[in-house]
Amino acid sequence: MNPFTLVRLPTLDAARERVSAEPQRRTFRAGGIDLLDRMKEGLDAPDELIELHAIAGEHGARMRGIAATEDGGWRIGALVTLGQLAGYDDLPPAYGAIKDAAGNAATPSIRNGATVGGNLLQRPRCWYFRHSDLLCLKKGGYECLAVSGDNRFNAILGGGPSFIVHPSSLGSAVVALDAKVTIAGESGLRTIPADQLFAPPTVDPTREHTLAPGEVLVSVDLPPALPGQRSAYHFAKEKQSQDWPLAEASVRCTVEGGVIQDLRVALGHVAPIPWRSKEAEDVLEGAAPSAEVFAKAAQAALSVAEPLEGNAYKVPLAQGVLRYALHFATSTPLPA
Amino acid sequence: MAKTEIKVGFGDQVKAVSVELPKGEAKPWDADAQLEVVGKPIPRRDGALKVSGRAKYTYDVNLPGMLYAAVVRSPLPAAKVVSVDTSAAEKIAGVKAVVQVAEKGDAVLFAGQDVAAVVAERPEQAWQAARAVKVEYEQRRFVTRLAFAATPDAPLVHRGAVEERRTEGHVTEGGGGDAQGNKRPLRPMKKGDVSKGLKGATVHEAVYETQVQTHSALETHGIVARWDDDEHLTVWASTQSIFSVRDELAEVFDLKPTNVRVHTDYLGGGFGAKFGASAPGSRLGTIAARLAKQTGAPVKLMCDRHEEQVCTGNRPDSIQTVKVAGKGTALTAIEVQSIGTAGIGTGAGVGRNAFAVYTKCPNILVDSSDVFTNAGPGTAMRAPGHPQGAFAFELALDELATKLGVDPIELRLANDEHPVRLWQFEEGAKRFDWKAKRAESKRLREGKARIRRGCGVAASIWGDFGRPKAAVVTCSVLRDGSVEIRNGVQDIGTGIPTVLAQIGAEVFTRPLDTIIVRYGDSELGSSVGSGGSQTTSSVTPAVRNACEDAKEKFIEHVAELLGAKPADVSWANDGTLSAGGASITFAQACKKIPGESITATADRPATYGNHPMPFLGAPMPQIAGVQFAEVEVDTWTGVVRAKHVLAMHDCGRVMNRLTCTSQVNGGVILGTSYALMEQRVMDHDVGRMLNPNLESYKICGAADTPEIEVVLTDVYTGANNTGAAGIGEPSTIPTAAALACAVFDALGEPVRRLPMTPSRVLAALGAVPAPKGLG
Ligand SMILES: Cc1cc2nc3c(=O)[nH]c(=O)nc-3n(C[C@H](O)[C@H](O)[C@H](O)COP(=O)(O)OP(=O)(O)OC[C@H]3O[C@@H](n4cnc5c(N)ncnc54)[C@H](O)[C@@H]3O)c2cc1C
Repeated sequence: MNPFTLVRLPTLDAARERVSAEPQRRTFRAGGIDLLDRMKEGLDAPDELIELHAIAGEHGARMRGIAATEDGGWRIGALVTLGQLAGYDDLPPAYGAIKDAAGNAATPSIRNGATVGGNLLQRPRCWYFRHSDLLCLKKGGYECLAVSGDNRFNAILGGGPSFIVHPSSLGSAVVALDAKVTIAGESGLRTIPADQLFAPPTVDPTREHTLAPGEVLVSVDLPPALPGQRSAYHFAKEKQSQDWPLAEASVRCTVEGGVIQDLRVALGHVAPIPWRSKEAEDVLEGAAPSAEVFAKAAQAALSVAEPLEGNAYKVPLAQGVLRYALHFATSTPLPA
Repeated sequence: MAKTEIKVGFGDQVKAVSVELPKGEAKPWDADAQLEVVGKPIPRRDGALKVSGRAKYTYDVNLPGMLYAAVVRSPLPAAKVVSVDTSAAEKIAGVKAVVQVAEKGDAVLFAGQDVAAVVAERPEQAWQAARAVKVEYEQRRFVTRLAFAATPDAPLVHRGAVEERRTEGHVTEGGGGDAQGNKRPLRPMKKGDVSKGLKGATVHEAVYETQVQTHSALETHGIVARWDDDEHLTVWASTQSIFSVRDELAEVFDLKPTNVRVHTDYLGGGFGAKFGASAPGSRLGTIAARLAKQTGAPVKLMCDRHEEQVCTGNRPDSIQTVKVAGKGTALTAIEVQSIGTAGIGTGAGVGRNAFAVYTKCPNILVDSSDVFTNAGPGTAMRAPGHPQGAFAFELALDELATKLGVDPIELRLANDEHPVRLWQFEEGAKRFDWKAKRAESKRLREGKARIRRGCGVAASIWGDFGRPKAAVVTCSVLRDGSVEIRNGVQDIGTGIPTVLAQIGAEVFTRPLDTIIVRYGDSELGSSVGSGGSQTTSSVTPAVRNACEDAKEKFIEHVAELLGAKPADVSWANDGTLSAGGASITFAQACKKIPGESITATADRPATYGNHPMPFLGAPMPQIAGVQFAEVEVDTWTGVVRAKHVLAMHDCGRVMNRLTCTSQVNGGVILGTSYALMEQRVMDHDVGRMLNPNLESYKICGAADTPEIEVVLTDVYTGANNTGAAGIGEPSTIPTAAALACAVFDALGEPVRRLPMTPSRVLAALGAVPAPKGLG
């Protein structure tokens, strides 16, 4: 790892300007878990780490807090840790998906340092990307080495030219919950739908999000819960703790008069971005919840999958994970 | 010489035998021995030091003026070194020396091989300098895929002679013939005629595959080397064999072995990869000593996790074709044809399970070959060969049992001859509620339940490899009333110092905390390496002899004080010594010791008994074990959870129930991890390991660990005076096999490839086509 300077600036603007002046040499540190991993592996070598935790005042408070908003929604600051979010009892159960996603990521000790913002903006875990000696598409190489290599953990949906899976467990939850994110840029704060934060590799295979260099993610904004809103998150892992999921699913819906409405389905760890499944939504919108219709929806969701040579198993696996999430979100008993 | 009668056996099968004890040998603690301290669940002495960070490992040794070394490793799997330019590295601040390890023209055989080394004032300077060494290579063709390496089209890995590493403590299978291409046969194990046994029998044949597993000890390989003068070298080494470190360094630097001193106060795991001064795939020990000599300063060289994963050894993989045949419940033929790769190293055999457990089968052939590949060398790893062999064979046996329509336990009982193992199978089945559980898994399977459950069972075989003469132990009764035991053994983590103290406390009937144990230093008397599960059975009998001899001398001293004959001195449990109406306390008698201490030195003789059954016709006892496993499988995701393992093990006479149980827990966890997740992943196009870390190289954690129930079935072997036998290795042999059998029971379909990840389970369920082979 290269030597670096830790820079503590007390205002959001000062921090932002410091990085945008020389984004090649400077970067933000939140929990630092992903950033230091990359630096230790020699993937990144910034000279200066700008400490987001040093931001004081109103912005600092907003970035560190979880609060109900005037419109009836909730705002989760970008510096809130996964551990704080998972244990935040006042957040209504309508938003359960994001709490569960936060509470099942990584390990307890990582969750105590990892932040919501850092989680959404972390770089991919693909082992070709993470190996300092291998030059893959993400690092400016000519091809995605996973295509002909060992791609057991890579994308089955939306892949190409890069086949990473988006690493953030919060990703599918924020998309399913129809959240927005607030970003601080040169012209002040702006709020965009969460799914516009994530960029598919067709745009620029070396990046996963749309923030301009030096822009700061300030908060995740959850819209007011719909009457009767429920949500659920589910995952499957090879190892039950300290491992990334093989697939995840987040579901938001209401069940009114015996039928499913307002459904949003998003899958994680199956595509280069958190993957909204319109196919599943189409099958389920207006349907009565049942194990059969969930199985059909899961099939529809994955009918567009294009697995690589070594990851076809992720198709049935993601179907299974989505079925669980649908059962949990609608409180439909699981089949024996 | 006079014969001594001792009681040997186990459970209610105890009998008296008479043995001729070697000279100076204490009478064995046999089935009748009533022991107060030995066998009790006594916590390890250094537990608090370890959990509080006060225990200083090699990694923690910091000497005044110490420098830090780093090794430059080849990024290519096969190449010729064209040039090495160290000039840029030499200019980096703090750098004291840069040396070449590979010379121009040398061949690189795997990615991770030593090429050059640097030493600097700070570790980060050394890493920076290592990156600045410019090496030009001429790339060569390479092969890392086992199945391809075994074909005639594959590039040849070794052009010259193959360097064989021998690991002490292991009866190696040894080379059996000449290499053909990259393939070199190991000595086959054979009896009867398999083709005869196949005739008219129900036959099952299938291919089984296991993965490369890395040792992944928590403490990486490393050493601190300091030259005291030109003739004397002192090192602190993370080793499981102090004396092999000493001898290797003495040989390389042409020193007298007694002029090399080796310290290992604490060791953060070895599992077979930490013999000798270096690592199986890196000469790091000699590099450190060479740099220390060159710079005149102590040098520390510790591997980072990436290096640890690629060049410090591994458990070879295997592709095993297993054929097994039976009539009724009788096995009539077993044949295993196996290839495996230990990278550029040797020793990819599949152990003795198929050959030596179900010995009623008259016709057996186990034929295996090493296949060389351009990858880091394999080396001994906790029960070398056995977990892979057990997995393939026991799963094949269950598949045959299904074809024969017999219960897996019934089939095993009908073909095993070891009385302890038979007893473990029967007792275990009751305790595990085998019949009811198998009925339940059948019900779930037939009802196509979403969550299935399944049970499996598998056997363990090992030998008591306790070594004669290797450990020389000194016992001293000191004037302050304590008893000191000295031996240069290292504690690989089993808690051996605690066990040695128990022996002392038992012999002297003294409180445990008055027994001092000095260990982990080559100056304290020669000892064994911790391999082959032989440490306890090699060292405890020598400790007992030394203690008994010192006690005898002490009694002579007491007799003199009391004006009596030694034979008349009686020794009460509270330490009161009396004879002819006079008495003295232990403390008083100690104070009157002339000089500093009463001291005796002793070793242990060769093993002289092997009840109830010898190990493969050898003079030592065979150690038996059986494990039962229960799994839960989610058919929607393919995730397997290990729920429960019942581990029934023979460990001779158990010396300490707590540390022994801890060994079994460790064996089961390692086996579970091997069964469900651990796996070296290579990219065969670039010849590199893709997961050289502890993130994507997955090791099972607390949440993945089954409930472990350990039953230690004491066996009195009459093999040595304490009755100790080994447990570290036998306890990991059957775990993956039992789990695989349980998954078969749950699904009704076998998963014939480790690890049993969701990908393979979903393939077994027919949800996807089977993924491409490991090869
Ligand atoms: C063993 C292991 C298992 C894991 N398992 C999971 C898992 O199951 N699911 C999962 O989601 N994650 C998992 N993780 C990843 C972990 O959750 C992330 O590394 C962590 O959330 C990153 O957050 P951080 O605050 O430490 O980010 P940092 O490392 O501080 O930042 C990450 C990146 O985002 C930038 N950044 C951070 N905050 C901001 C901001 N507010 N505005 C602009 N830029 C910002 C930084 O510059 C940096 O480039 C795992 C990690 C490990 C080591």
